[in-house]
Amino acid sequence: MALLDIQNIDVSYGRHLTVKDCSIELEQGQICSVVGESGSGKTTVIRAVLGLLPGGGEVTRGDIVYDGKSLLKLSKREWRALRGHDISMIFQDSGAMMNQTRLIGGSFVEYIRTHEGISKQDAWKKGAEMLSRMRLPDPDRIMRSYPFQLSGGMRQRVGIAMGMTYQPKLLLADEPTSALDVTTQAQIVRQMMELRDEYGTSIIIVTHDIGVASYMADRVVVMKDGRIEDQGNRDHILNHSENEYTRRLIAAVPSLGGKRYV
Amino acid sequence: MFEDSEVLLEARHVTRRFPTSSGKELIACNDVNLKLYRGKTLGLVGESGCGKSTFMRFLVWLDKPTEGEIIYHGQDITKLKGKALHEMRQHIQMVFQDPSTSFNPKMKIRDIVCEPLLNYHRIRRSEKDRKARELLQMVDLPGDFADRYPHNMSGGQRQRVAIARALALEPEIIVMDEATSALDVSVQETIIQLITKLQREKNITIGFICHNLGFIQSFSHQIAVMYLGNIVEVMPGDQLSQVCCHPYSKALLNAVFDTKMDFSKKIEPIKGEPPSPLDVPAGCPFQDRCEHCKDRCRHEKPVLTEIGPGHEVACHLYGKGAEA
Repeated sequence: MALLDIQNIDVSYGRHLTVKDCSIELEQGQICSVVGESGSGKTTVIRAVLGLLPGGGEVTRGDIVYDGKSLLKLSKREWRALRGHDISMIFQDSGAMMNQTRLIGGSFVEYIRTHEGISKQDAWKKGAEMLSRMRLPDPDRIMRSYPFQLSGGMRQRVGIAMGMTYQPKLLLADEPTSALDVTTQAQIVRQMMELRDEYGTSIIIVTHDIGVASYMADRVVVMKDGRIEDQGNRDHILNHSENEYTRRLIAAVPSLGGKRYV
Repeated sequence: MFEDSEVLLEARHVTRRFPTSSGKELIACNDVNLKLYRGKTLGLVGESGCGKSTFMRFLVWLDKPTEGEIIYHGQDITKLKGKALHEMRQHIQMVFQDPSTSFNPKMKIRDIVCEPLLNYHRIRRSEKDRKARELLQMVDLPGDFADRYPHNMSGGQRQRVAIARALALEPEIIVMDEATSALDVSVQETIIQLITKLQREKNITIGFICHNLGFIQSFSHQIAVMYLGNIVEVMPGDQLSQVCCHPYSKALLNAVFDTKMDFSKKIEPIKGEPPSPLDVPAGCPFQDRCEHCKDRCRHEKPVLTEIGPGHEVACHLYGKGAEA
């Protein structure tokens, strides 16, 4: 049985239909990339999975089934237990998603104590240990820092560490490397690949960087104007797709030693 | 480097120091020497904070170097003032990264693209409409867009308007600071096609800042790699992947993801992040992240040495006195 099964969902903001008839299936340990241009609805889809649609957004048709259960009918309480425990999310800039006026350690402790009844000291220790597991140097200093004191790459790794605290089965990543330099991007991509290898985490990564998407993914989903234009395994999408839009999108990706314009 | 092309602009020993509150100096550009050739593109790559934008901003007088000179048509443009500076500005124009923040949201596109022309009294007010249409058509936009506001357009269209505005005065040099980073790949491609087409037609020199080597090599004649304020390698754009040899350039190259790469290959990113530019180590700036680091790199700073045609590198592994 698939770990996550998005079945023909429509997502609307008010009267505006943003995502139409979208179906994605994900097995345990699989990585799926969702690519597309800005405004194609790719972020909306994964936000819907975590029940995090911004104001007025709702799934109006179809169903999202996680581990045999429908996610659309969960109570607030059930959501709290699931989010950050079974399903985690990494945002484009994890630092900006944290409270700017609190220490990273403070946010981390609060998060851990939401899911586990342990003392603050133990939660702090657990957080620091998680940071060092994610190979962040000097975890105690990071715990005592504010988000703005860290570089973009560090903040992103802190975000990944937080998301991975309970070894979720499903990790949703929304443009996790878009704001980073190429070298830092490579580090983060590698780290996410290792999560899959070590913990068997399934990952859905939403990105407009088709290079990153194809390096990471087993399956690639191409979205356009709120619809799934094309999906298939990586090799099929990159080399054998018959969809014209997919082919055009792939051809536009600059490639080393590829097309030169001068 | 390019026999068929003259040196249009030359930066000599350009250094920029910023004072900081702690009393230390931040060296954003350290002894940068670069040449821009007529009708060619210079791509400047590096991580954020390496000083690439700081350098390009000197060319358009958004900042002044602390030391060094920038020679353009026989004069040092960093010393220009008043009328002479005003006259010179029209020959070097700039396109910014995010076109939505570099336009006045209350101005119509017509006024945006014609403003530089009016500033230099090149056209009369009555000619604005005709000229705006002409400029918009040059960047493959319908002339009717003249009546729109910047927020009525997509990012790609706005970037085309930004290019039209920069080209309005028919400058010799255009500086583009990450001009395509905010755009989708398919739009990115069309913008690059447009830029290179206009470059061929008008023989414009372009200084392009970018952090993606894979992308910049597709349209640059010359590529300079910058690290912590220092130029570490300059190479011809068409041979990038064959000739590039500085460990940092190689690391940048390895960090490029594209659709034709070998997916089974494990990526080996360089470790860590660049040190703070406030305490740049003595010796080679790249020493702490370099796997070839030797004793010599710790105390002696490598200088740019020519090792091939149009190919210079600052690394103790290459050039004179290299240890094999």
